[in-house]
Amino acid sequence: MEFNTQLLYNHDQALLAIMIFVIMLGMGASLTVDDFKAVVRKPRGVFIGFLSQFGLMPLIAFTLATVLNFPPAFAISLILIGCLPGGTTSNMFTYFSRGSVALSISMTTASTILALLMMPILLKLYTGGFINQITASLQASDSGAEFVIPTGNIISSLVMILVPVALGMWLKRKSPDWAKTAEDTAGFVAILVILYLLGTAFIRHGGLFAQTPWQVYVGAVGLGLSGFLFGYWFSRLLGMFPIFQRAVSLETGIQNGPVSFAVILLSFAEPVQSQMLWLAILYSTFIVMTSSFITLYYRNTGKFDYNIHKNTVIHNRLFGSDYVTHYPEGFLPARLLKDPSQGSSPSQRRG
Amino acid sequence: MDFRIKTSNIALLYKGAAEQFNSLPAFATRESALKWKPVSYKELYEQGLNLATGIIELGVKARDHVGLFGDNRFEWILSDYAVQLSGAADVPRGRDLSDEELYYIIDHAGIEVAFVETEKLQNRLFALKNRLPDLREIIVYDPKAKIAQGAKSLAEVYALGESLREKGDRRAEERIENIKPDDLFTLIYTSGTTGTPKGVMLTHANMISQVNTLPGDHNMNDRVLSVLPIWHIFERVVEMYTISFGGCTYYSSISNLGEDMRNIEPTFMASAPRLWEKLHERIIKNIKASHPVRQILFHIAYFLSRQYTVSQYYMTNKYLKLKHEPIWKRVLFMPFHFLRWTLVVPWYGFFNAAVLERIRLGAGGSLKATISGGGALPMHIDRFFNFVGIPVLEGYGMTETSPVISCRSNDNLVLGTVGPPLSDTEIQIVDPETEAIIYPNAKRAHNGKGLRGEIWVKGPQVMKGYYREPELTQSTLVDGWLRTGDLGMMTHNNCLKILGRSKATIVLSSGENVEPEPLEMKILQSSYIEQIMLVGQDRKFLGALVVPSLNEFRQVGFTEKTVKDLSENPATYHKIKEEIRLMVSASNGFKKYEQIRDFKILSDSFQVGHELTNLFKLKRHVVSDKFGHVINDLFSKELTKN
Repeated sequence: MEFNTQLLYNHDQALLAIMIFVIMLGMGASLTVDDFKAVVRKPRGVFIGFLSQFGLMPLIAFTLATVLNFPPAFAISLILIGCLPGGTTSNMFTYFSRGSVALSISMTTASTILALLMMPILLKLYTGGFINQITASLQASDSGAEFVIPTGNIISSLVMILVPVALGMWLKRKSPDWAKTAEDTAGFVAILVILYLLGTAFIRHGGLFAQTPWQVYVGAVGLGLSGFLFGYWFSRLLGMFPIFQRAVSLETGIQNGPVSFAVILLSFAEPVQSQMLWLAILYSTFIVMTSSFITLYYRNTGKFDYNIHKNTVIHNRLFGSDYVTHYPEGFLPARLLKDPSQGSSPSQRRG
Repeated sequence: MDFRIKTSNIALLYKGAAEQFNSLPAFATRESALKWKPVSYKELYEQGLNLATGIIELGVKARDHVGLFGDNRFEWILSDYAVQLSGAADVPRGRDLSDEELYYIIDHAGIEVAFVETEKLQNRLFALKNRLPDLREIIVYDPKAKIAQGAKSLAEVYALGESLREKGDRRAEERIENIKPDDLFTLIYTSGTTGTPKGVMLTHANMISQVNTLPGDHNMNDRVLSVLPIWHIFERVVEMYTISFGGCTYYSSISNLGEDMRNIEPTFMASAPRLWEKLHERIIKNIKASHPVRQILFHIAYFLSRQYTVSQYYMTNKYLKLKHEPIWKRVLFMPFHFLRWTLVVPWYGFFNAAVLERIRLGAGGSLKATISGGGALPMHIDRFFNFVGIPVLEGYGMTETSPVISCRSNDNLVLGTVGPPLSDTEIQIVDPETEAIIYPNAKRAHNGKGLRGEIWVKGPQVMKGYYREPELTQSTLVDGWLRTGDLGMMTHNNCLKILGRSKATIVLSSGENVEPEPLEMKILQSSYIEQIMLVGQDRKFLGALVVPSLNEFRQVGFTEKTVKDLSENPATYHKIKEEIRLMVSASNGFKKYEQIRDFKILSDSFQVGHELTNLFKLKRHVVSDKFGHVINDLFSKELTKN
């Protein structure tokens, strides 16, 4: 396929920049310094999450791109998305899927910082083959230029992303009311802008949807879904209990879309930029739908263990942290019986 | 596996719960916001046995009537356990009754042993004692009370029973074995909305039928908040129901309600319309005080939720169906609702998550359901909570039916109705004049659905009768049918709709019948009006007694500090006149004789225990008596004009 037209006009880019700013501001407005401290205090869950986010997810992206025989620019974009940190969207979905929001927030904060280090390393590791393809085609056509992953640019754009986050955190300290407003508005703005981008893409480049190879659609949808699936079972394998499994699962599958827009816009140039952006838009669109369905599913299947967890939390909150809730035999499934958060032994307070 | 306990009487329910739920918390009492004291099912049962043995030793025989005079506290439920486990029945009332009522109840019920909550109540009983020769023992809950000569503290009776049980006393177990389903569980004196107190006899079988048929999916993880008066039958049934599934009941109070809801995150509760009105007021106030952007987001969210929910109700046949809907109409409307639902659903999903969830957190965020009873829930309150996703289920009943007759469930949530009758309950709608059966009546179109009349009830929850009032019992209970005195109709989707109390009906001198409640509810939507009662029986036009809302008037710049001062300001009168005219006008669909021509502003609000029942229902006869002169004054113009 050919992307000879520019996907975004200048004013679209400006709009996208504003959206990224608003969303990251909203993300910062939802975080507190305590969230960072919590990561250090309970590192086990965050570590498992880290393995899942930066170990599994890029590998899944790479495997999907290879198996589906992606065009190189799309492949790089998919791997880039696979290496992204988590965003606040996953916290919201975790909340409604009756997962551990505390873990989700910890994972988001940890991965946002760690991405500075991990993204360049992972991109180097997985994109080598695809970069050579691009360079080969560039040399065959005319210029003889060499395509490289702009590591320095990526790091600096990631740092730039942290500016509105810090601003949001500062805002929360200054004016909680404004911070809440920023938080509520962010999600709404994101949806509007993504719809706008899809809409304009449809109008201006109607052929785009048809031109995009089916493999790309499969990849865009499959990346999130595989992330959910592997995150869920991987964390189970490492002995996590259901409420944390759901958090890891969603955090793994849902990446911070706006960060990918920022990195692509700031670090890559044509001819790959438009294609990469197109995949990022597709991923961001589909992930909202797939996460909604997965959340509904988790919400139903997790009802029982979550209610027990909740009851324990509240018993400990009201009756003292050493209160033990004993359910009659046969009420708790065997697996939950061993779970310290499920009432069979004194538990710590967990969100 | 089903862990629900099904037994034939309440004493066995207590016993079964102790065996089944063992160390799980049964009740919790508040020491401070984040410090609560739990008591387990097993402890409670054992303590109950000890106290039961104590009162048996004091001479309480099986089927005796034991008085329980007090409000929500742990000792109350403990003494209820003791009474049930000794095979007796209790006669419960709160502290707020007058000496006359107290005397009447103890005398009429033949109470020999009475529990009282406080020192003050103990002293009041002693003052009445010479008129009550049969009253032998008075037992005081409050550990800090000074026990009068001749009375006993709860601890003393408990210790007595405990030592007897240690020596092998098993009289309580024998009593439990001998309870018959038809034995009284409780004898409740209703101050009610009308006349002298009546002793409603409710049996173990009545209570068990309620415990087994209340709708809902609950288990040991449920947290039930208790805020209504504990001695009220509705609250008691919910507590018994909670015991049957092993949940924990938390004793809260109106003043701590907001805080406790956030800390306990209740999953279920019995509630009254007034609680929801208050919560609604608070939520709206918070929204108005929030950032403008967030206000807009809320309005968008509420709008979407409304579109979504209404279409959802239509598609699942859960809308108020007062008239029969022909198939062609449904075929016509269905695609519209389906289309609207599909278009709205993604947006609703987002706003529901981002905006409405915060509002739900104000009520703890975990409510599976709450049953509202004890009065009609105003439609706008009902809509509000169900649209923001707090499932307020309205129920209908009376003390005489222990109390639930019908109740909405999550599967049968039709706004504006009180849901379908409980599974083993029969309903008849009867012409109040001719006593002809309107529903179910095969001769009428649609079996008589959608036609109004008096509601008659038959079922396992219907009382045994009024204690020592055979004539009253005969006129209320005919062939097993209880005449409720309420007007209602069966909707076309088999839910009951209540249309007012037939006795509250105001008949104007022109012969027009006015149901005051719907009108009052409509007028109360004005935030300037705190309380209102319509009057006009046998008069030419409708009048009203109005209590203005001090807060609201102060917010728009009035400087008065009391309702009394406010009532004397002529500007108040004009504002309220305008408000009433706004709410009840011909353009709102009200008829000419339903217009309120004149009203009087009262200098004080209606109080619980005086003009209001404990569930905030107007005692119309009390208001009419107390403000007789005001009402006469109100209609005096009528005389001078003619």
